Amino acid sequence: MSMAAVGVEQAGILRVARGRARRALIRDTWPLFPALALLAAFFVLPLTLILPESVYDGTRVTLSVYGTVLGDAYYWIVIGRSFRLALYSTFVCLVLGYPTAYYCVRVVHPRWKRVAYMLLIAPLFTSAVIRVMAWTVILGRNGILNRTLMQMGLIESPVRLLYNELAIVVGLVYVMIPFMVLTVASVLENLDRSLEEAAQDLGATPVATFLRVTLPLSLPGVIAGCFLVFTLSLSAYVTPALLGGGRSKVMSMLIFEYFLRVFNWPLGAAISCVLLAVTLLLIWVYNRALAVGARRGRLGVEAAI
Amino acid sequence: MGDEWVVRLETVSKAFGRVRAVDAVSLQVGRGEFVSLLGPSGCGKTTTLRLIAGFEFPDSGRVLISGRDMAEVPAFRRPVNTVFQSYALFPHLTVFDNVAFGLRRRGVAKDEIHRRVPEFLNLVRLSEFGARYPSQLSGGQQQRVALARALVNRPDVLLLDEPLGALDLKLRKQMQVELKHLQRELGISFIYVTHDQEEALALSDRIAVMEAGQVLQFERGRSIYEGPRSRFVADFIGEANILEGIVETPGQPLAVIVANQRIRAQSLHADALQPGAPITLAIRPERISVSLQPPTSPNVLKGRIVEKIYLGGSFLIYLDVGARDPLVARCGHRGLFDQLEPGAGVYAAWELEDGIVLSQ
Repeated sequence: MSMAAVGVEQAGILRVARGRARRALIRDTWPLFPALALLAAFFVLPLTLILPESVYDGTRVTLSVYGTVLGDAYYWIVIGRSFRLALYSTFVCLVLGYPTAYYCVRVVHPRWKRVAYMLLIAPLFTSAVIRVMAWTVILGRNGILNRTLMQMGLIESPVRLLYNELAIVVGLVYVMIPFMVLTVASVLENLDRSLEEAAQDLGATPVATFLRVTLPLSLPGVIAGCFLVFTLSLSAYVTPALLGGGRSKVMSMLIFEYFLRVFNWPLGAAISCVLLAVTLLLIWVYNRALAVGARRGRLGVEAAI
Repeated sequence: MGDEWVVRLETVSKAFGRVRAVDAVSLQVGRGEFVSLLGPSGCGKTTTLRLIAGFEFPDSGRVLISGRDMAEVPAFRRPVNTVFQSYALFPHLTVFDNVAFGLRRRGVAKDEIHRRVPEFLNLVRLSEFGARYPSQLSGGQQQRVALARALVNRPDVLLLDEPLGALDLKLRKQMQVELKHLQRELGISFIYVTHDQEEALALSDRIAVMEAGQVLQFERGRSIYEGPRSRFVADFIGEANILEGIVETPGQPLAVIVANQRIRAQSLHADALQPGAPITLAIRPERISVSLQPPTSPNVLKGRIVEKIYLGGSFLIYLDVGARDPLVARCGHRGLFDQLEPGAGVYAAWELEDGIVLSQ
């Protein structure tokens, strides 16, 4: 057989192999097609419309809107506030959510676990608007909290609780906490209990067992929960809009205003892109952290998302 | 108090709901002794171990370790360490940090830790693996890390919960030898939970055979194998032919009628038996000799070959002697195998002392 013939034959084999690989790819991935189609229609398409909108002023391609956004201190204040509020709500969700998750997994009798989780999810069945409005009833000038505090004699006149950043954080925490609890609980639920017994067996007190074994091994759930709450808080609209009273503006409110009130689409699109870029950056950092963790074998449990 | 027993259980009971997992168990384990808790799954052996470790507390009875009552002592203050069935190595810590975990919790000085951890890693032949994570080790290596992690604390007693259960047969045999060697070298008492009777016989100084939460017999392995007191023990430790008969004439030896044939048996309590009383005998398959010609032994059952099975080192012969179950004989004589054919009439015989009279 000549060298050329060998070459032709190899090319033939390669072609057959490639065809087979393509067919295998289609066979293995077709269940994803509906979801991919949906994503393409409702995610990729709007994005491809927004990005040109932010860089095309009708006659030429320019980054001037981005200059406006990043050059104006006002936008930096809003961006800063958005991140600050998201950070606060993530922190409070973690501090309140981790013990709640621990309680649901470890303390609640297995028979009542389903009930506990149902109670956690129950608020999600109601519209976000209703849930946030409920807080205006509690935090309002003549709201439940102010009246109670006055009756107890702790304050003389109503305190301003509503329409500030505190109110927004309270509302965000209320809406987001189930996500934190469920994410952490799913990791705790899968944690091998014999590891905690092993720690105690080796002389670790219950506190040391928690700090040295339980907490480090539940970190993937903590990271996933924080990530979820942070991004959801950062892009939340209803809660800051209703509880901030228009005073404490965040990025999502600006986007809404520029698109639907001021009709400054390029500016709205630019802010959207900044928000998106930051979110994608966070996803990237999160994945990097997990990949590094996994390579070092430090994370015993796969991430929850 | 100079107690010679490292671990002492006094009529310890533990129930889970309505299930009596451990039922009035009394045990003593001596210093440097290797004791196995042997029994089928659900017999209470693991619960017994957990009661000693302090993961469970008894409903009644006392657990004493080195002479001290453990009623108020939580797991993390007990002078015991456990090797878990799943190894339970900390996946987020290196092999070194896993082994150092117990020393650090007890506040052992840093240079002491850096001396002892390598010493024990060396003992289990894992000197080079200190920087690895458990997920980067094979099952056998993980097992050895678990051993080092427990032994480095020099516990009064090491508890092992089916530690070799997840390993394949060859590795298991190898680890058995290593375990025995380690135990001798360190002189630490081992309490070893297993359902594998061969493993228990190979490793233990004494074996506690458990069933339904109770200890049926607690003796040296050889005494249990050669003198099982109950049908369950005879059946569980090794193989046994169980023959049910009727006492014909008491005395030494007894005359017993089994499947309309007369055999002899000896029992310590022979005088207490009345003619006509039911009696159960256990005979080990390897103690039965099969022949085509009637032997001179007084213990002979005539029967017919049902099946013969070649096992390599030996072969089994199933005999129908008229009893409920066929009699199994294990023979090593190769010439005999070719002569015996299913359907042939043969004689099964055994020495008087090999017919063990069971009390239950």
